[in-house]
Amino acid sequence: MLLAIVIAVIKMLILFAVLMLLVAYGTLAERKVSGHIQDRYGPLYCGPKALLQPFADGLKLFFKEDIVASRSDKFLYFLAPMIAIVPAILAIGVIPFGESVTLFGRKIPLVMTDINVAILYLLAVSSFSVYAIVFGGWSANSKYPLLGGLRSAAQFISYELILGLSIMGVLMIVGSFSLVDIVHYQRHMWMVVYQPLAFILYMIAATAELNRLPFDLPEAESELVGGYHTEYSSMKFAMFFLGEYANMVVTSAVAVCLFLGGWYSPVAFLAWIPGPIWFLIKVVVIFFFLLWVRWTYPRFRYDQLMGFSWKYLLPLSLLNIVATGGAMLFIVGGV
Amino acid sequence: MIWPLIKGLSVTFCHLFKPHVTVKYPYERREVSERYRGRHVLRRDEDGRERCCACGLCEEVCPAGAIKLYGKEDPEFKYSDVGKYAEYYAIDYARCIFCGLCVDACPRGAIEMTQDYELAVPGPGRAPLLKTKEWLLEKRGGE
Repeated sequence: MLLAIVIAVIKMLILFAVLMLLVAYGTLAERKVSGHIQDRYGPLYCGPKALLQPFADGLKLFFKEDIVASRSDKFLYFLAPMIAIVPAILAIGVIPFGESVTLFGRKIPLVMTDINVAILYLLAVSSFSVYAIVFGGWSANSKYPLLGGLRSAAQFISYELILGLSIMGVLMIVGSFSLVDIVHYQRHMWMVVYQPLAFILYMIAATAELNRLPFDLPEAESELVGGYHTEYSSMKFAMFFLGEYANMVVTSAVAVCLFLGGWYSPVAFLAWIPGPIWFLIKVVVIFFFLLWVRWTYPRFRYDQLMGFSWKYLLPLSLLNIVATGGAMLFIVGGV
Repeated sequence: MIWPLIKGLSVTFCHLFKPHVTVKYPYERREVSERYRGRHVLRRDEDGRERCCACGLCEEVCPAGAIKLYGKEDPEFKYSDVGKYAEYYAIDYARCIFCGLCVDACPRGAIEMTQDYELAVPGPGRAPLLKTKEWLLEKRGGE
């Protein structure tokens, strides 16, 4: 019993450390990629190849003046940055990152908890992050954050739907809500081959959930100053930032589990590379894709954003479910 | 509808590997034009005397009001060859807009602009940006 707790704690610490490391270097990668795409260098001088930049940023944010808007709703104002990071940390608990390993005669599954409703749990937890944005927008008692928060609420409701429906196709094929089962199903063939439309829909909806360009209306710098985090500074601002990047990492990890075969190697002759490494490589690739998209596309107009979700993505995702069901009925012969 | 999106992605991806336009400034410097309008210098003549005759045209023409000078008689022709020189000559670089009108106005070619553009001074305050003759005068030989 005690040993089980110790193992769980160790796994938790490793997962948390890896997540935070990915978040730290995610911010650096964002700046580097954006720089190179715009024919600049990005950060250069902080440590070799600017590798110490995230720590310098963190240190700077720690020592910045912490300004609290005087007419703000203090309770929600302090609560919002905390909520911003919690969903991502909760979500890594169900993400499997490797086949179970045997250490000292004990079989240790490389996942915090393999619960049978992992997908439902993920959807429930990830929709929590809208509270951070809406609370942040409301409590600061300022017009720009409020507009950002309102936009975010509408955007989340629209795209959460697409996110859920795009996963439905995968669930129908696998017949299980457990992420471990879903990854096991992709041992020989990635799910993206069976569900290409669902993968595209998932990536679009996930980008919208992450408030990233081209769907970054809640924080649209050029129109809303900073959107929901306009009135935040110092570590409170950093928490929003951490939350955003942690959510990016988690979303990438979920996309890898659902569509890109989790920890399995794509080709047989590279199977000697351990599963967790493969998993990390795939997460980094999806993460890079998110950065790449951000520095390529311009922002949607607000009515375009809503119209795109309800008029195009929703019918497409429903069509995908019907088509998947039909295919299973006629080709495979029943669920 | 999809094709332009992919084309856009390919454009940005290509730019990842293109050469950078950034000059790593303190470590590398861009070469400035021969006619660059940098900080001023007060020229001397062949004998090492100041060319400035304190006519005040530069002060008059300066659109930013950055130049201030006081003339003084020089009967022994010690400082200049016309018997008059600028006892006090100052350019306020907090005001100067580097337009070069003072250079155009000068009848004796006494004031010119150089290629030096690194004029920043450590703060606080702008007082160190007021440069007087010691700093502006052309340095010659052992000076």
